[in-house]
Amino acid sequence: MTYLKATTFLIAAALAAPALAQQDGGRLDIVVQPEPPGLMLGLVQNGPTQMVSGDIYESLLRYTTDLEPQPSLAKSWTISDDGLVYTFKLQDGVTWHDGEPFTAADVVFSADVFLRETHARLRSSLAYVQSIEAPDDTTVVFTLKEPFGPFINAFEVGTMPIVPKHIYEGTDYATNEMNATPIGTGPFKFDKWEKGSYIHLVKNEDYYVEGLPHLDEIFYRVIPDAAARAVAFETGEVDVLPGGSVENWDVPRLTEMEGVCSTGKGWEFFAPHAWMWLNNREGPTSNKLFRQAVMYALDREFVKEVVWNGFGTVATGPISSKTNFYSDDVTIYDHNPDKAKELLAEMGYDGEPVRVLPLPYGETWQRWAEAVRQNLSEVGINVELDSTDVAGWNEKTSQWDYDMAFTYLYQYGDPALGVSRNYVASQIKKGSPWNNVEGYDNPALDEKWNAAATMVTPAERETAYAEIQKEIVDDVPVAWLLELEFPTIYRCNVKDLVTTAIGVNDGPRGAWIEQ
Amino acid sequence: MQIAIAIFSRLVKAALTLLAIAVLNFFLVHAAPGDPAVVLAGEAGAADEAMIEQLRERFGLDQPFHVQLGKYVWGIVQFDLGYSFRQGAPVSQLIAERLPATLLLTMTAFGISLACGIALGVAAAARVGKASDTMLTTLALLFYATPLYWLALMAVLVFSVWLGWLPGFGYETVGANYTGLTRLLDILKHLILPALTLGLFFMSVYMRMTRASMLEVSQLDFVKTARAKGLSGPAIRRRHILRNAILPVVTLAGLQAGQLVGGAVLTETVFAWPGIGRLMFESLAARDYNTILGVFIVSAAMVILFNIITDLVYRIVDPRIGATA
Amino acid sequence: MTLWKRFSSNTGAMIGVIILLLVIAIALLAPVIFPKGPWQMVQRPFLAPFSTDGLPLGTDTLGRNVAAQLAYGARVSLLVGLVSTVVALLIGVPLGAVAGFYGSWVDEGAMRFTEFFQTIPNFALAIVLVAILEPTLTSITLAIAIVSWPPVARLVRAEVMSVRKREFVDAARVAGLTRRRILVAQVLPNTVSPIIVMASLMVATAILLESSLSFLGLGDPNAMSWGYMIGAARTVIRQHWWLSFLPGIAIVITVLALNLIGEGLNDALNPHLSRKARA
Repeated sequence: MTYLKATTFLIAAALAAPALAQQDGGRLDIVVQPEPPGLMLGLVQNGPTQMVSGDIYESLLRYTTDLEPQPSLAKSWTISDDGLVYTFKLQDGVTWHDGEPFTAADVVFSADVFLRETHARLRSSLAYVQSIEAPDDTTVVFTLKEPFGPFINAFEVGTMPIVPKHIYEGTDYATNEMNATPIGTGPFKFDKWEKGSYIHLVKNEDYYVEGLPHLDEIFYRVIPDAAARAVAFETGEVDVLPGGSVENWDVPRLTEMEGVCSTGKGWEFFAPHAWMWLNNREGPTSNKLFRQAVMYALDREFVKEVVWNGFGTVATGPISSKTNFYSDDVTIYDHNPDKAKELLAEMGYDGEPVRVLPLPYGETWQRWAEAVRQNLSEVGINVELDSTDVAGWNEKTSQWDYDMAFTYLYQYGDPALGVSRNYVASQIKKGSPWNNVEGYDNPALDEKWNAAATMVTPAERETAYAEIQKEIVDDVPVAWLLELEFPTIYRCNVKDLVTTAIGVNDGPRGAWIEQ
Repeated sequence: MQIAIAIFSRLVKAALTLLAIAVLNFFLVHAAPGDPAVVLAGEAGAADEAMIEQLRERFGLDQPFHVQLGKYVWGIVQFDLGYSFRQGAPVSQLIAERLPATLLLTMTAFGISLACGIALGVAAAARVGKASDTMLTTLALLFYATPLYWLALMAVLVFSVWLGWLPGFGYETVGANYTGLTRLLDILKHLILPALTLGLFFMSVYMRMTRASMLEVSQLDFVKTARAKGLSGPAIRRRHILRNAILPVVTLAGLQAGQLVGGAVLTETVFAWPGIGRLMFESLAARDYNTILGVFIVSAAMVILFNIITDLVYRIVDPRIGATA
Repeated sequence: MTLWKRFSSNTGAMIGVIILLLVIAIALLAPVIFPKGPWQMVQRPFLAPFSTDGLPLGTDTLGRNVAAQLAYGARVSLLVGLVSTVVALLIGVPLGAVAGFYGSWVDEGAMRFTEFFQTIPNFALAIVLVAILEPTLTSITLAIAIVSWPPVARLVRAEVMSVRKREFVDAARVAGLTRRRILVAQVLPNTVSPIIVMASLMVATAILLESSLSFLGLGDPNAMSWGYMIGAARTVIRQHWWLSFLPGIAIVITVLALNLIGEGLNDALNPHLSRKARA
């Protein structure tokens, strides 16, 4: 019996959330930072857009915090034993926000036409897809060319948002006027966007799930200054501070306030993993001994405790402990300056300065870079901090103009979706800061990464990834830092907000306010 | 008639200046490292070459530089500020959405600072050398030396966090759906802190100038004559000194008023004020070229507009000034 | 001598001088007093001032010595203020002098150019320049200089135009001196005093500008400055307000001192205006 037997989930199970005293009504004010550039999720997929538009658009599935798939636009699904055919049964009676009926044709259009053109990340998963068909109005069949274990994770709303065919078919997607007033199937409808101030969403009265949503309206508030965001929460102006919207040292103070709760959940799908790219091509960082010395020089525990205020976990390797197939059977790099000095002496480091490029995402990251500079100079490495803004950072990293550069990336639940892209040689491509930027080239490992992606059973994959992790950690292609934790802070009377692996992004669907 | 010709020639010059500013800034922003396509693609959490190429093509960045410049300038000539691909809207629309907030903030700050600055300056000049004069001038010096953003932070800390009297950020109470007078009052409440912190610095400038100017004019012959004729102190101050002393202050203020519009980035950031200064700063980080340029052109136009207004006011107050001044 | 007498009899100006000398001394002695530098993490973060021996002003977000940061910050602030003013003078003085002295189309051209720069919003231009050149001390200094030279050019032009008409210039011309010599040797020296006054105020403004840029995150990450300190601490302003307050006070005091000196100079150099007339 194979692990991936045909499975059917029933909608009833997913909706079995305790139907106690969920109260309808009320408004929720959520901070969104920075202001999203647009709300058409099929075109723009940055963090803020996913957070706001995750209420407007939907995909076929949602995921629990353990990454178990749940019904969304699909009410049930089956996967064939050979792992090649995914058949989805869609919900009945779903309409778009403009009243048009939603059908399987919309799904086919979205996945096969629209997103193939606009969504780079999905495109790499769609490369495994042979065909997408709609035998009838409520059935969609994805047929793969070869088994691709992580495919079941591709039906998240930010990965495969279903967009209305009747609005986009045959138009120029980027300039379609309807992008300003997005039409989805989700629990909330777009109402108004006061640029620089707020985005207003209202309850979708015709939502296909009986009794949902509970909230009447949501205001996504744009407040550019981190300190002002904290003040807004304190004074009761906003109810929810999604992860990362205030600096970490504000978190303890805010969570100690009366009636304030916080949770680290709701990021499992993303599992943000932070590291420094070490330029493997040139300079001291091209030497493995130097890279290992860096790992020993860094006091990651200190950074976690002081810079991140205790949030997060020191990373052991390329795969986050929250992602499937994590293994801790690897070399552990503790803070050991003496060992670092030894390694530097062994390689004959001559004091050549290295440039460190911080991530321009606010004070926490700046402090982190400063702490790293301090750690490295303690073992005798000469460090210069580069400074630049978001655009400059993108340019420098994607053009490989750095020695060490901070970054963090999402893992999307599976090493084949969010991890291998940073280490396989086929992903060494100038022009993008989201691939193998460090230039790590290890053909033997490449084969293992690729094989692990298409193995049929999870058990096989487990073994393969354990082996990969053990090997790559000794090579130190990048300096792994922390598994980041972005706590969501909210008022305790807001209930059931974070229940899925993408947290606040699709949380308001079932959230309610206790009066 | 003469005024009409003067205005016309000013307008032509203004148009040429704006065009030159557009060209210069076009060079500047395009010289910045980074590329809007990479930023936009990057924010999606993944990007491949195909996507970046596609974005560059859509933004028109695949064309030779001179073609891009030519197209942009041709657009400007037709009063078209271009399209923001990042925000998916015409730049003129983006700016139009934000400009009223900036104008409200800066003009309030300007009005307060000019009115209070002149009043305090006159008061200080009238009591020159006395304790109240020393106090006022010291205060002015202090505000003149205080970083604006720091004052703003401290004001938020004291008045909205500790005392809870005033909202610390934003333009109005979101989602309250106030209308009419209630809405006006609501906006006013939000306006107080940013307008005051922005205005204090300029108030100290105008106060010091008014005071100095008052004292200078009071030494002039015609004032001595008036005094000899037996006019009372307040009457001289009002009729003779103030009118003459105020002119240079108003001129300087007029020149600064325009600069204020583009210079309120700090205040807008600290107070989450939805104005064009913030729009520019945020667009810069994303290399949203057209939007940055648009804000530059609009704020430069404001500077020119205020210069012309100042000129006209001057001409009305003091008809001796010729058209060539 | 009378100049110094007039200046030294001005209490405000003398206070300014004393403060400035103190700040300069601290800046120069920073490496001696704080040999570990401003970046070293020395203790637990967020120690309050006066709470720990050896750390009179406590520690910052990473446990670094705030007193050391203030001292090193003085170096950066003064350096940027001074150098950017010198650069601005190097642009503004020649341009203004040439425009005022030669008149006609030279003047017209130079003034159009100056006006052009005055039309572009200053602060916005500075931000864009620093972003393009990437934040380093050099680029920040340059950006400040570029936005602050136009008033210098205007001032020098006006002064030169008024000096040009005086008798001694005519005398020099009669004596057969070349125009360039007259400008450099006769006219310019007579415009020095207003330039000095303006320069002292410009240093003050430049310090404010540098701190504003740092506050927006456009500071040099390898140079500790007061603006950086405020920017870095503003997110903890609720719990640890002194971390933003102290560098703010440092800026206020230094800028105030420079302004006092500028005014003292102004009064001393323009004795025909009563001292009290310019406060």
